[in-house]
Amino acid sequence: MDKDAAKDSAEDAKKTILDYCLRKGALAAGVADLDALERIAPPGHRPSDLMPKVKSVISLGVGGQTQGAWSVPAKAMGYFGSTETRAYTIAYGAAFLIEGRYQTPAIYCPPDMDNEKGPRVPLQSLKLHAEVAGIGARSLAGDILLHPEFGYMYFASIFTELELPPDQPMETNPCPAPSCVSMYRQIGRTPCQKFCPVQCLSGSIDEDGKQAEMHYDMAACAEMSQQYEAVPAMLAEAMAAEDAQGREDALFDPDNKLLWYKMSVGSGGLLAQCFECMRVCPIATQAPQADPIRRSIAQTNSGESD
Amino acid sequence: MARGLNRQQIGVTNAMVDSYGDLIFQLSHNMQTRRGDPIRELDFAAIEASRAELGMSDGQIAARVGLSEPQVMYIRNMMERRNFNTRHFQRLLELGGGKRFREERFTNHADRFEYHEDAIALREAMTFAPDRARHYAEQGWWADDTMSGWLAGHVSERPDAPAIIQGDLVINYADLGDRVDRLAGGLHGLGLGQGDVIAVQLPNIVEYLVSYLAIARLGAVMTTLYMPHRAREFETLLGHSRARALICLSDAGGFPAAETALGLELPKLQSVIAIGAPISGAVAFEELAGASASADKLKLPLPVAADPFLLLYTSGTTASPKAVPHNSHTMLGNARLGAGEHQLTANDVIVSAPPFGHLFALYSFHLALYTGAANLLLANFTPPDLAATVETGKATALFTAPAHMAACLGMGLFDKHDWSSLTLAILSGSAVPADMAHAVAAKIPNCAITQLWGMTETQGGLYSRPGDGIDIAAGSAGHPAPGAEARISDEGELQVRGSMLFPSYFDNPGANDAAFTNDGWFRSGDLAAEDDAGNIAITGRIKDIINRGGVKYNPREIEDLLDGHPEIVQSAIVPMPDDVLGERACCFAVATDKNLDLNRVCAYLLEKGIAKTKLPERLVLVDEMPMTPTRKIIKGRLILPELPQT
Ligand code: SF4
Ligand code: SF4
Repeated sequence: MDKDAAKDSAEDAKKTILDYCLRKGALAAGVADLDALERIAPPGHRPSDLMPKVKSVISLGVGGQTQGAWSVPAKAMGYFGSTETRAYTIAYGAAFLIEGRYQTPAIYCPPDMDNEKGPRVPLQSLKLHAEVAGIGARSLAGDILLHPEFGYMYFASIFTELELPPDQPMETNPCPAPSCVSMYRQIGRTPCQKFCPVQCLSGSIDEDGKQAEMHYDMAACAEMSQQYEAVPAMLAEAMAAEDAQGREDALFDPDNKLLWYKMSVGSGGLLAQCFECMRVCPIATQAPQADPIRRSIAQTNSGESD
Repeated sequence: MARGLNRQQIGVTNAMVDSYGDLIFQLSHNMQTRRGDPIRELDFAAIEASRAELGMSDGQIAARVGLSEPQVMYIRNMMERRNFNTRHFQRLLELGGGKRFREERFTNHADRFEYHEDAIALREAMTFAPDRARHYAEQGWWADDTMSGWLAGHVSERPDAPAIIQGDLVINYADLGDRVDRLAGGLHGLGLGQGDVIAVQLPNIVEYLVSYLAIARLGAVMTTLYMPHRAREFETLLGHSRARALICLSDAGGFPAAETALGLELPKLQSVIAIGAPISGAVAFEELAGASASADKLKLPLPVAADPFLLLYTSGTTASPKAVPHNSHTMLGNARLGAGEHQLTANDVIVSAPPFGHLFALYSFHLALYTGAANLLLANFTPPDLAATVETGKATALFTAPAHMAACLGMGLFDKHDWSSLTLAILSGSAVPADMAHAVAAKIPNCAITQLWGMTETQGGLYSRPGDGIDIAAGSAGHPAPGAEARISDEGELQVRGSMLFPSYFDNPGANDAAFTNDGWFRSGDLAAEDDAGNIAITGRIKDIINRGGVKYNPREIEDLLDGHPEIVQSAIVPMPDDVLGERACCFAVATDKNLDLNRVCAYLLEKGIAKTKLPERLVLVDEMPMTPTRKIIKGRLILPELPQT
């Protein structure tokens, strides 16, 4: 541990690490309460299952789409999905910072699926970390988190054996936005529910305008986004086809070709959500700093006032 | 599969997948329900209470259901695979860029329009040689022409211009567009659409053209029946074409067309649409024509140029029909390229003497629709009606068969009526007698007379041009249309190919084998000769050739001479089988003198210098000749009577 670090209190260390994340491009960063995570995450997916001596889980979020990206066709928008790699890069840097400065083991939490447990289950839920760390709240759009200032973000986590004081989850949930509540009152559905292409979202809003129930057909959602699941399905369809023409159609259908492409040279895109629910979400698209242009103006202004 | 273990090692059976599959799928993350916001509120009790709804891990499910974790994994994976719908992804391909998903407007891919098998079979017949297709497209001979596109262009650019004139009724392009749009909507309402064959048996009236355009707008295919067709032809042609609907008259001059069709055993024929008095079981045309749900309102997909839209029968109306399919590439490309050659413009008023059931008449309509000219209608040809229509309608262009002109000349109608509005008369349908062409030219001196050779398979194949002069037009069919090529085989047969040529007969492989040469040229069956300037004259039919003991000759020359015989109205020479020589010539004739005999005929021909070997060896007098709608003698229907026993 270097001399400066020795002097750092846990509070100071937390500030140093979170400031690093923000400086490197994160819009928000926080520390999740490890005990809460250990209680909420199911066995096999708790932080301690990955890093037995973990003491702290740091979560950070980077900005989602640019304003322009929300207006491109859905099939092209999928390619913007690799934004999350920026979050992983920051987390990777933060893990090095912790090890270098505090001589304490740290990892950047692998964002991957737990392949043993199928394509729907991550090794660790990055969203759970972010939610408990107070940098996002569950929306009515399935398991997506939203932030009142930054809208829709991509998350990454750092696990460390360094003990840091935890943050609290957000006090209020920005979802549903007032306009969503009024739409729900009129037609019984919020924008995300209405425009989901596979209609996998439903639920209700209570009298206070708060989330009452949220139903999410994740299997249907995955059909829109988890293309690696489509590949064995396409092969199975081809094998089950009645004749050579049917087999050829199953494999070379022009729509399916896009999936093959994504699985080969174009992989990385569309392995997340299909984005239609976020495209119509007022928070994802209109939160004060969801727009990168407004964000950079805000940053410039705050720089000037310093 | 889970941990690479097989189902025997895990102890899973199909019965277990069936029994627990749904439950495990529900309990897993595949189906999630969240009540309130328990995680943000760190409400651990609520989280625990709603585990099963929030989505459980395999281990948690295993504990809940009483299975091992690997068993849960295996069963969950099986269920995810069974439930996975790769087609859902296709919704995404249509979304974004301002387009939002709307459940009420979305139709699953699996539930979307599908061409029925008959339509696919017809489309299979539209197979062109790849090198030809490429060449035609590269040359611009095939483009994105469609009748719907042409019509829409006129509707927007010159809505008030006359499109159809029928007596006092003048329909402008805007009105025509509206009528077509509504009828297409009405036909759609009957369940008719892309790829369906719809037959039409009508005289040359407004409803014919509106129906034709509406059928094309639907992406359907029109097949035509001639007015003289009766139950037998209906049965053959409607059956062979797999027609789903027929548009006809309730009463076609005493023939109950609609009732006849309704009474036939035609399983594919769903609708008979009748114009005129209501017929029980038939749909009233007026009802469909007034449909409020028009094709545009219904957003029916627009046809494309490669879609077949016309299926015409050339022969075999009672057996082994030869059906010629065309798409816009072949038909409309030929018309687009031809309009300039014929010097037709939007200012023309075009009248067709033959019925629209015949491609030559439809060609006149295709040209009018391309240029935006007016179609002046002559419901049924009679010489006086044609003369009166040209005069009162101030026709500028006339599409006619030589026989129509011969009849008008014979009745002195050129002297009794004013034909001076004509600037173009295109003669086609059978070989044009030179004397007749000269005679017509003399009667309407300011009108360019041209001759066109075409077949149902080719539309406008060869033609002389307005500037060529009467000598070329009277003696030949000029030279090939743009996009067409012609050659004359060693046997003297005219063979053609080009962007206007149909691809193959529908559902008649035998006919296809005979119709094309090995190198892909179409055998016209016509005999032709080419002059030094490249003008091609049609000299007869290859099957009319008489082969008398190895001496082959074309009887056309003799027929032309006989037509000049003072007592012969019409003649046709056909081969008759002969045990010794193989064939001998028999002359059929319509004569004013019922006592005309073979000796007098032969003496006349010898006097004209005809060789003895070419003289007819039998004479059969008939009251009238069997004729095509374009007034060609159908030699195949001339039946040799038994010779009296000697
Ligand atoms: S990501 Fe797409 S499929 Fe999933 S909930 Fe959102 S809109 Fe629906
Ligand atoms: S659109 Fe956004 S804010 Fe509105 S209910 Fe859906 S997720 Fe919440």
